[in-house]
Amino acid sequence: MMADENTPHVQAKFFTKQSQYSIPDTPYSVPAAVGTSELSSLINQILKGSDDSVDAGIEFDFLLDGEFLRVPLDKHLENRGVSSEDIVEIEFVERQPAPKPEDSLLHDDWVSCLQGCKECILSGSYDNTVRIWTTTGAPLLTIPGHSAPVKCVKWLSGDGGPTCRFISGSHDQTILIWEWHREENSVECVHACRGHAGSVDCIAINEERDKFVSGSWDKMLKLWSAAAVAEGDQEEQLEAPTKKQKISKKVQTRVPVLTLSGHTEGISAAEWLSRSEVCTASWDHTLRLWDMEKATQTSQMQGTKVFLDMSYSLLNRQIVTASADRHLRLWDPRTTDGAIVKCTYTSHNGWVSSVSWSPVNQYLFISGSYDTVMKLWDTRSPKAPLYNMSGHEEKILAVDWSIPSLLLSGAADNHLKVFQYNDEKHGT
Amino acid sequence: MSSKSRSKRKPDQFDFVDKGVNDSDSSESEESVYSGLEEEPDTSEEDQEQSSNQSDNDSSDNDDDEDITLDDKSGLELSTEQRKELSTASDDELNEINDQRYTGNVKSQNRKQQKQITVKTADRPDEYDYDSSDEEDIRNTVGNIPLEWYREYPHIGYDIEGNRLLKPEKGDQLDEFLNKMDNPNYWRTVTNKMTGQNVVLSKEDLGLIQNLQSSKHPDSMAENYQSSKHPDSMAENYQPWIDFFTHEKMIHPVTNHPQHKRSFIPSKWEKLKVGQMVHALKMGWMKPTKAKTEEEEEENFYMLWKEDEESEITRRYRAHLPAPKMPLPSHAESYNPPPEYLLTKEEEEKWQNMEPEERRMNFLPQKYPSLRLVPAYKRFINERFERCLDLYLCPRKPKIRMNINPEDLIPKLPKPRDLQPFPTAQAIVYRGHSDIVRTISVDPTGQWLVSGSDDGSVRFWEVSTGRCMKSITMETGSLGNMCIRSVAWNPHPDVSLVAIAMGQTVILVNPGLGDKMVTNNTDNVLHSFSPTEEESMGKKVYADWSSIDTSDKRFENGFRLLLQHPKEVSQVTWHGRGDYFASVMPKGDSMSVLIHQLSRRRSQNPFNKSKGMVQCVLFHPVRPFLFVATQRYVRVYNLLKQELSKKLMTNCKWVSSMAVHSGGDNIIIGSYDCRLSWFDLDVSTKPYQTLRHHKRAVRAVNYHRKYPLFASASDDGTVIVCHGMVYNDLLKNPLIVPVKILKGHAISHDLGVLDCVFHPSQPWVFSCGADTTIRLFT
Repeated sequence: MMADENTPHVQAKFFTKQSQYSIPDTPYSVPAAVGTSELSSLINQILKGSDDSVDAGIEFDFLLDGEFLRVPLDKHLENRGVSSEDIVEIEFVERQPAPKPEDSLLHDDWVSCLQGCKECILSGSYDNTVRIWTTTGAPLLTIPGHSAPVKCVKWLSGDGGPTCRFISGSHDQTILIWEWHREENSVECVHACRGHAGSVDCIAINEERDKFVSGSWDKMLKLWSAAAVAEGDQEEQLEAPTKKQKISKKVQTRVPVLTLSGHTEGISAAEWLSRSEVCTASWDHTLRLWDMEKATQTSQMQGTKVFLDMSYSLLNRQIVTASADRHLRLWDPRTTDGAIVKCTYTSHNGWVSSVSWSPVNQYLFISGSYDTVMKLWDTRSPKAPLYNMSGHEEKILAVDWSIPSLLLSGAADNHLKVFQYNDEKHGT
Repeated sequence: MSSKSRSKRKPDQFDFVDKGVNDSDSSESEESVYSGLEEEPDTSEEDQEQSSNQSDNDSSDNDDDEDITLDDKSGLELSTEQRKELSTASDDELNEINDQRYTGNVKSQNRKQQKQITVKTADRPDEYDYDSSDEEDIRNTVGNIPLEWYREYPHIGYDIEGNRLLKPEKGDQLDEFLNKMDNPNYWRTVTNKMTGQNVVLSKEDLGLIQNLQSSKHPDSMAENYQSSKHPDSMAENYQPWIDFFTHEKMIHPVTNHPQHKRSFIPSKWEKLKVGQMVHALKMGWMKPTKAKTEEEEEENFYMLWKEDEESEITRRYRAHLPAPKMPLPSHAESYNPPPEYLLTKEEEEKWQNMEPEERRMNFLPQKYPSLRLVPAYKRFINERFERCLDLYLCPRKPKIRMNINPEDLIPKLPKPRDLQPFPTAQAIVYRGHSDIVRTISVDPTGQWLVSGSDDGSVRFWEVSTGRCMKSITMETGSLGNMCIRSVAWNPHPDVSLVAIAMGQTVILVNPGLGDKMVTNNTDNVLHSFSPTEEESMGKKVYADWSSIDTSDKRFENGFRLLLQHPKEVSQVTWHGRGDYFASVMPKGDSMSVLIHQLSRRRSQNPFNKSKGMVQCVLFHPVRPFLFVATQRYVRVYNLLKQELSKKLMTNCKWVSSMAVHSGGDNIIIGSYDCRLSWFDLDVSTKPYQTLRHHKRAVRAVNYHRKYPLFASASDDGTVIVCHGMVYNDLLKNPLIVPVKILKGHAISHDLGVLDCVFHPSQPWVFSCGADTTIRLFT
């Protein structure tokens, strides 16, 4: 319709799940070599014709059979083995807006781990401290306490109350449970969880927020109570040398409720899948599922590379893993047979150190890599990420997407970068 | 059939019988046949009839496809009738009867019979009166051709003079029918196709046919005589047999000549001849021929397949070797060569002055404006002669060219991608050192990496992130040499110690990384050591042990023990159990290798004689063996028996490094002459395989503990990873496949990669180089 008559055309039918952009269900003849931008302007024209109120110039993305159109249409059809004679049904969605770099929080040392929670960001660093920041970038607290680099931090409860609790695990083989009084802006260590014989590399808190598991380099998975008071707690003086803030309170030592062995190498990531099920990723190339109530390993998924991180989405019940190669892999823990790696996402140029699902959109996740780039992925676009977020000068060690509007990344250049991501239009 | 045999036999004519013979007719007409024949002899055209009959007989001999059908019953009757008749008649009578009976149309037979009879009487008629040969009697001369060809014509052929033989008139069907009805001989009348004449078969002919059909002797007479046991019957049929020369020995001579006189007188000439020979024998002129010995006789073999062999001449033709061809004339030999081929004056002079053998060309290129002006070729005879000389000296031997596909010579190796996992890409660069990183070592859990550099610092790195966790800068020693020559992490998982060789000292450092319990235990064990005085008293002290006090500032850095050596230490290596370690002093002469025991803080010198400059030593992973590499040899010592158990010939000029497979039966050796040699200790003291993949000196080699991988680091800035599978099956040789060249290190000061170490559990390799970095390849 736009190009001359000689070029091959494809009959295409457009539909959308976004009601504000719905258009009539009539097939259009489009040139076969059309790209996304042309299709987008076509949709805009149609929308303008039907309704003047819709402002033109909206960028759309196009999905064919659940995969984004990233190459000209005819090539896409050729790659997928679809005949260009038939009417092609193309779904269009409004293009994901680009994340905007918002803030960069400077640390004293490498940022090894971070998590956001409502208005606060928690970050752990190689200078043995845990820091609390506001989402706007103001430093709230710097908490010394560990005697070795902090490897993982997790909010235990951060939902607006006067006291927030969080957990940090470190190379010094301890996990500390902290209480943060928001008004006073003071923090105290309430529990020191001791038992690991290696650096604590990951912590996962269950949905009820009364238990958490920790994985360590000593190959053990330990289950701890996250309650304020638990059996077996012992009084202990925290021996950490503190300069900025004196913690003189008595600290209770907590011992693990359960210790599970099975991995043959260090555990790098853990996630709760349900009330009782935990999935762990390890350097021994396996993902293992554990039943915490029965205290057994239920199943095992064999990979081929060292797992460095993993993320589980409650929305689509799938796992995405980051490996010591260039790939991200999508797993479905519910399948027991066949190809358990459902998809492989390849775009990074270095080890993928961390990965995190979107809390609101079941298709989106972010990944950070040693190639200093954070990438925003859509599961429907395995060939290319949606956006690359560069800015770091050193390898990214941690990414987080706990706050739906913020993409966080911490890197070895001492910076924690905050990217604004406006995803409200989509919802889920 | 020859005429002779024919003459001996009864006539064997058998002629055609009309197909339309009627059974009922034949039996009735028997009597009438004879009466008719006797009374009404068919006299018309007697001669012709005879000849035709004769020819008819002849043709019938050949003509087998004629259908002869004669009723059995009639034939039988006929034969019995004959028998009756014949039994009553004697031979002569029979002949007479025959003569009378067969008057016209079977005259030839009569004649033959007469002939037969006349054999006995020896009253021979002229042999050539009648020609009995097959061919000559043919009146029709058209030959043996299908007679249908003459169907259209009134004649049937040509006689010997070339006149047409006209077909006899044939009546129409009505005549035929009338003939059939009226003629009593119709059933025995056949047509001779050659002549077109009708022939009436005689009774004898019929009998003959019947005999043939019933598989009897064709001559019914013979049979009859046999059956009747007539004494002269054989004489009738066969000539009597005269046995002139018999096999039996006769007493009387066949000839009756009396013997000649000379047969009774001894020969005079023979006597003379014998006398001559006797004289010759006496004089020794003639020697009696030797009697053949048995052996000679036995050796009388012959070639069974001699016929199969090619004769010399054919073989020579087949394996013809063409003479080598003359080279084609070049441009310079043209009558009108391009000017650049023509010699200049100086060149020509030079050419003239040269010896003819030394000349590059044996002619002078000359230019003529046209072909007409070219003179006769002066050198023709010379050239021919030289050619003859060439051919005379040319070796006439076939060149056997081996057709070997070069690809077949390459051993079949699996593809590298089938041998995964192996490190393929650079993953992490560990930066922090400010000078050449000489040595690295990984802790047994694979979490930490230690590196020693020329900048005098030892750094501890977190493997997974590339974070430098700790850096120990050595204080300037008394010699001012701060190069860290070697670092080695204690392989025992419950000991947290790193041995560092710097200058003349070996320092044992507790890095304080990893499990705190292990770290503290190590400290406690070291602290609780109490030296036993007696032992150390009597023996020579090779190295000076000193422990660092907790109050010392260096203790904070992790320093625990110092071993002062008399000479510069180039390498430290731990035994697999982590209690013993060995240090190498290349300039230590007889003390170049020292073995230290950590638990007793004691040093031993296993060798009291220097066998050369020791490059490196290694402990066997399971057995009490020590590998000592000097410049050219690797010696394997049994530490328990204190003896040399093997000496490996490395075939290289200068060994740089050595690594032992976790099984302990295979070692690899890197050398400064770019080689990497794999030794199978069970098999040989010579290299099983030598790899020359590096372009410059190999600095370090290493085996992976779990994966079938080994790596070599070289000054050309690369690390080459090879797949080196060692099979449990002793008969199977190790499979060595180079899989990856890892590049990344920059070359500075002519130094590339100085050390490479595998991760203990992952298929990753660390390398450190002169570009101050450590790199991890995964």
